[in-house]
Amino acid sequence: MMKMTWVTAAAVALGAAMTPLHAQEKPASVGVGVFTFTSGPAAAYGMPGKKAADLMVDQINKAGGIAGVPIKATVVDEGQGTEGVIAEYRRLASNPENQVMIAALSSSNCLALKPAVEQLKVPTIAWNCDAHQLLADGKSNYYFRPNGNTVTEFAAYALYLLQKNPNVKRVAMLNPDYAMGHDAANVFSATLKAIRPDIEIVANLFPKLGTANFQTEVSRLLAAQPDVVFSALWGADLSNFVRQASPRGLFSKSQVILALGETVLQQNTLPQGVIVGVLGDGWWMSPDAQARPETKRFVEEYKQRFGEYPVFPSMKMANAVIYMKDAYVKAMAANGGKWPSRDELAKAMSSGSFDTLTGTSTIRKDNEGMVDQVIGTTVKSPDYSFPVIGDMVRYDGKVLTPPQGEDPMVWVKSINADLLKSLPKPGSYK
Amino acid sequence: MLGLIIPLLVDSLTSAALIFFVAVGLTLVFSVLRVLNVAHGSFYSIGAYVAASLCLWVISAGLSPWLTFVALLASAVILAALLGPLVQSTLIQWTLGKSEAVQILATFGLFLILEDLQRIVFGVSSIAEDTPMTLLGVTSIGSVTYLNYQILLIIAAIIVVFGLRMMLVKTRIGKLLSAVVFDREMALSVGINTKRLFTFAFTLGVFLAALGGALAVPTSGAAPGLGAETIVLAFAVAAIGGLGQIEGAALAAVIVGLARVVAIYFAPQLEAVAPYIVMLVVLLIRPYGLFGNDQARRI
Repeated sequence: MMKMTWVTAAAVALGAAMTPLHAQEKPASVGVGVFTFTSGPAAAYGMPGKKAADLMVDQINKAGGIAGVPIKATVVDEGQGTEGVIAEYRRLASNPENQVMIAALSSSNCLALKPAVEQLKVPTIAWNCDAHQLLADGKSNYYFRPNGNTVTEFAAYALYLLQKNPNVKRVAMLNPDYAMGHDAANVFSATLKAIRPDIEIVANLFPKLGTANFQTEVSRLLAAQPDVVFSALWGADLSNFVRQASPRGLFSKSQVILALGETVLQQNTLPQGVIVGVLGDGWWMSPDAQARPETKRFVEEYKQRFGEYPVFPSMKMANAVIYMKDAYVKAMAANGGKWPSRDELAKAMSSGSFDTLTGTSTIRKDNEGMVDQVIGTTVKSPDYSFPVIGDMVRYDGKVLTPPQGEDPMVWVKSINADLLKSLPKPGSYK
Repeated sequence: MLGLIIPLLVDSLTSAALIFFVAVGLTLVFSVLRVLNVAHGSFYSIGAYVAASLCLWVISAGLSPWLTFVALLASAVILAALLGPLVQSTLIQWTLGKSEAVQILATFGLFLILEDLQRIVFGVSSIAEDTPMTLLGVTSIGSVTYLNYQILLIIAAIIVVFGLRMMLVKTRIGKLLSAVVFDREMALSVGINTKRLFTFAFTLGVFLAALGGALAVPTSGAAPGLGAETIVLAFAVAAIGGLGQIEGAALAAVIVGLARVVAIYFAPQLEAVAPYIVMLVVLLIRPYGLFGNDQARRI
């Protein structure tokens, strides 16, 4: 009997040690898993996110951490593939010291991680992935996305195009062959056709992610003679496409829209008049961003430390870290100043608005963040050696996000000319 | 109709040219050494990195931009001279005569090592230098504008096909290579230094792969993961043409290029699998490839 008691006690003690932290004394540090691409062609997009995470964590820790607790970040490379990402997530989550995850960059990885997130009950911030399917069921308790989704982002491009070029007739599309690329094509074309059913999609290409040679695609696009070319390519793929398409005259023959074009402004010489945006409001030069001293400080330190200006993945990551910090502060305020458990942190993340470096994000009941969309066209700048975004518009994120519970694609098809007329015009955001 | 045929033709040949350099090197090494070298794709990607670095240096040093063409060629020569004899005399020599499984495992291990070395030396970000591409300008055919650099790639591939054939037929070393391929034991018995020929053939294979990588730099840059993507496609091309067949590799590269381009034009969703569908069909009909056979070995 005595033996059984000891065994039971040991089991209880072991169980307590393995159980995720409940409200308790402050830990020595708060572990955070940061998932991004640090290798492969996608690293061109992922590394700015890592740099921003490094900078934000250092800034917060120098200022005393979160309520005195320093952040200890562990970076996981998504370049190892989805299976490895899931294994790393589970490994980090099994350590109670890691209380929150910032995961992931890739939409495919986010969708694959979702069962683990809900099963392991770790508050997880989808810092970049924007597949609208991620939170569409409205049942997620631990997955949060403060940075917006594909429907809002790509519908905004179609609306901006129709405002800038209402007579567009022939549209070609070039998007990466995975979840985000197909979503981008579907949302963009569906939004266009909802208002202008006569628009013809003359080419719809899906090169695989990581393609280095786009010469055939460029020929196909040129041969189709479209008024507009829309692309959501990113990372090294986008750089290669721009490098190959530009000398072949694609940018002068068609109005090109590069949904993630802001990420290559500093590397490639994009001509004037290319429609680019930031899949949200994360343009560090926007009027809202420039009005915030903390953003100016972030940009200055980023430039000083990494020798380049941030790009919008940097801003998305920085805003995700701010969201996490604010949630800790909110959770502690709600439980009398005690260090929050994972559940308490998740509860704090699940509602309210928070100020970011570039605007405001409002978390809806389905954990979806309402974020404004900043879009513009490339213009020369007397202050920088690279083109910047001009003729800008800032669309209200709440207006362009499907209502909770409604099928996003059904909502997209319901967009009409009245909505288009009600939106602010290009050039109105100064 | 002509407006469609010309883009299909130009794009197919351009697409074929780059993959041909890798596939022909792979098939040459297999033909002479009878080793299927999985690490061959790494020579392509290292060639790309070295060429990009050299071209960037030429531009940053303020030298004539035309010297970037020299840099492209020089990078392949330097890489072949350094890596060819080294890898052949160590790992590849050790695998000779061993089972195919051992050869593939050993060269796959080398591939993984070289991939990691590239990350350590060149970092994880892509690098590019497009000066050679921009220097040559463009040519418009109908509504489509082509880079003259694309035409240069096609010409370079044609030169390599004829150059290799001439080397094998007209030169002493080429005839010795053919003798070794035809009957290695007999070649040894008549006093041919096979070890030296193996080193030459392997180094030539490294040069061709590195040249392919170098010539890809002005348009595609160099990025991690390039080697894996390339070797898979090169295997498909070599298998379609028949392992050990130079002209077979050239024709197979054109077929694969055409299949990929037709897919992009008419069924974009099939682009990634188009080369492998062709490979499957060819191997079902001719298991030894278009130019291969199961009896005599030729090069």
